[in-house]
This record gives sequence, C-alpha cells and structure tokens, in this order.
Amino acid sequence: MNWLNFKRDYLVQFWSPIPSVIAAGVLSAYYFGITGTFWAVTGEFTRWGGHLLQWFGFQPETWGYFKVIHLEGTPLSRVDGVMIIGMFAGCLSAALWANNVRLRQPQHRIRIIQALAGGIIAGFGARLAMGCNLAAFFTGIPQFSLHAWFFALSTVAGTWFGARFVMLPIFRVAVNVKKVSAAQPLVQTPERAARRFRLGILVFAGFLLWAIAKTFDAPKLGLAALFGLAFGILIERGQVCFTSAFRDLWLTGRTQMAKAIILGMAVSTIGVYSYIQLGVPAKIMWAGPNAVIGGLLFGFGIVLAGSCETGWMYRAVEGQVHYWWVGLGNIIGATLLALCWDDIAPVLATRYDKVDLLVVFGKPGGLMVTYAMLALAMLAVLWWEKRFFARKTLVQEVV
Amino acid sequence: MTEQKIIPDYHLDLMGETCPYVAIATLDAMAQLKSGEILEVVTSCSQSINNVPPDAINHGYQVLEVATEGANIRYLIRR
Repeated sequence: MNWLNFKRDYLVQFWSPIPSVIAAGVLSAYYFGITGTFWAVTGEFTRWGGHLLQWFGFQPETWGYFKVIHLEGTPLSRVDGVMIIGMFAGCLSAALWANNVRLRQPQHRIRIIQALAGGIIAGFGARLAMGCNLAAFFTGIPQFSLHAWFFALSTVAGTWFGARFVMLPIFRVAVNVKKVSAAQPLVQTPERAARRFRLGILVFAGFLLWAIAKTFDAPKLGLAALFGLAFGILIERGQVCFTSAFRDLWLTGRTQMAKAIILGMAVSTIGVYSYIQLGVPAKIMWAGPNAVIGGLLFGFGIVLAGSCETGWMYRAVEGQVHYWWVGLGNIIGATLLALCWDDIAPVLATRYDKVDLLVVFGKPGGLMVTYAMLALAMLAVLWWEKRFFARKTLVQEVV
Repeated sequence: MTEQKIIPDYHLDLMGETCPYVAIATLDAMAQLKSGEILEVVTSCSQSINNVPPDAINHGYQVLEVATEGANIRYLIRR
C-alpha cells in the first residue's frame, strides 16, 4: 500500500460510522480510567459561558451551578478543557485532510432561527440533566448512573416530538427537481486540496507534539488532550451524529446509528466497570425529574437545531455556519440554566438521590442489569425498524 | 478501471441545506420519479454521507454512485 492510497482511503474518504462509534466507546472507557472523568463536553461549554460572564463583571462563581461543576482554573488547566481543545484540533485536522473546510451559509432564514432556538433549548435541557448525549447518555449509561437511563428514555420521547415539529410546513422548502440530460460534475480543486491537506497535517502534528510534551509535564492533561484529538478525528471522519440516531428512527426509519451507539455503550460499559472495580469512583448524578425534563427538552432541541453538542463541534469547524448558531445557542441555553439553577434545583434535582446501579443491585448485578437494558434497547430498535418498513409497504400498497 | 458515465434524468440542488432536510428532500424527490429514472443530488452537507445512501437503499432505491470532492457530495440514485 503506498502513501497515496493510504491518504485517499483513510485520511480523505469518510470512515464508516459504526466502527467509529465503537472505537469512541472503547476510548471513552480508557479515558475514564486515566482521567477519572467521563468523556463530556457541555459542562465545559457552560464554564466557558461562566468565564464570559466574569469578563463582563458578573460573579458566576457564586452561583450554585458553577459550584457544582467548578469554575476554577482555565480551559488549559482542566481535563475537560484540554480534551475539548483536542477535539477541535482533531476535527479541524480531519476536515482539512479531506478539503472539507468551506464556509457554507444557510440558504433559508428559518434555518438560522431553528439553529439558535434549538441550540438554546438543547443547551438548557442538557445542563438541567447534568449532561448531554455524552455525559447523560453515551458515557453516562456505562457509569451505571440511573439518571442517564431517565435522560436517554426521555430524549427518545423528546426527539419524537422534535421530529414531528421539524416536518411542519413552515420548515419545509419546496423540492424542485430539474429535468437534465447530463450529469453535473463536481468542481475539482486539486491545488487547494493539497494546500489544505498540508495545513491539516500541520495542525495535527502541532497539537500532537504539544499534547505529548504536556504529558511529561502534567500526565492527565496531556493524555486528555490526546484523547480529545482522537475523539475529534473519529467524529469528523465518521460524521458521527447522535441526533440522527434518535431522529431518523422517526423520520426515515434508519437505525444504523442507533445500533452503533448501543454497541459503543456495550463495549464501554465493561471497560468502565473494570476501572470502578479498581477503585475509580463512578460519576453518578441525581436521578430526579431534572433528568426527565432535561431529556425531553434536549431531545426536542437537538432535532430542531439539527445537531447536539458533539455534532455541532465538527460541523462548525467544517465551516457550516448553521452550526455556529447551534453552538452559540447551546452556550446561551446552558448559561440560562446556570442562572436559574438555584431556584429550580431543590425542587427538581438535589433532593433526589444519586442512584448508582452498582450499589442498588450490587456490583455484578448492576452490570447484568445494564447489559439487559442495553439488549432490550437493541431489540426495541430492531422491532421499530421492522414495524416502520412494514407499515410503509402497507401504505404503498393501499395507495 | 473504465468509468461508465451515468446520465441522470433529474437534478436536485441541496447546497447549503442541513439535516434532516437533505435526506427528506431526496426521498420526496425520488417518490416523484418513474421506475428506472435516475436522480442526481448535489449537497454540501457532509453528514448526508451517513443518511442519504442508507435511506435510499432502505426505501427500495438503488444507489449508483457516491462522489465526494472537498465539501461537496453528489449522489446518483435510481428509482
């Protein structure tokens, strides 16, 4: 295999999303073992909102929510912070390798409203539930935290409402097919592609060296940065989209991403379990109405916006302007939640227990229960897929 | 390898459009075609790589070609 083939097949072409998600599941278990925290992004984005408020003279460090998630230090001195910077570096390198960085403006004003409103709702809901698709779902369920199951199930419901909502006529644009008699070839820009590729290698190598150097100085931070780089490359190359896993069950009956995510959690769960056995404390959150309401809002919001917190990161870096609005919305929504947390938390969250399935059912019991529920989730997806297409065929026959 | 040119019957421009509307519009357009006709879809939505081809196949269409060039993707789908 020569370099050109390698470059084309592995650095330029998209990766299959299923192995990418499973790899993310494996990596996130190791990430937990090494850093003691789970792969998560929204908490850190909320802290960025907090730092912004500090610059404007507010004192968010006195707010209850920032005491819970800790606002000390800077992104460069926090595990979550360097990991996210790594994710951005990974997304940017991967997008540059494939010449996939270009400003893409939304074509319809309604999309910008959708992106911002959906982003705010999703950001608010995610932080209310103490996590997004990662901390309260993909990396929350393998922590054996009951709140993640509450969140996941209510997110399923939220995305169903979201999927109904985004199909309303106000959001639909007329489908205009043109009769043609020849294919329209894609414009090739080989020189730009070569320049972008070199730039991508530069970003990748630069960040890699920085993170390796950091590892000798502060091992946890350096390794977190390296994990971030890998997560970023995985989600961009695989175009991993948690939103589509839920939404497209309802819209087009596609189950590929949902199955991949369940498999990813299954491989992650046993890894996280082994670290907990070795004494790493699990991250358990309140299993209260906050997780349910948060999941409903989050599910609705991500479908309206078109992506979740992880999803907008790589698309924003690719130059898809739509997702800059989603990102802005997320930070606004998360900051709004932090603002009203002290009023709602006693009622919705903090008076409820932080339920650890490994405590409730015992260590092996909690593990078995988690795998049984993951198996049930997979069966539910398979059943839904069958039902969706059976019903579709029936409708076609009637018509 | 000699590339055989596929001649589409219809063209759908979805540049700048985002998820889920790329897949939805493609499926809507496909439903308007007659059996055997080919639709060409061009999009700048990278994410569509994971939804347009599998959705087309799931809904009983044949994906003839997927070409990516930088930020653009072109699909050729036969009803």
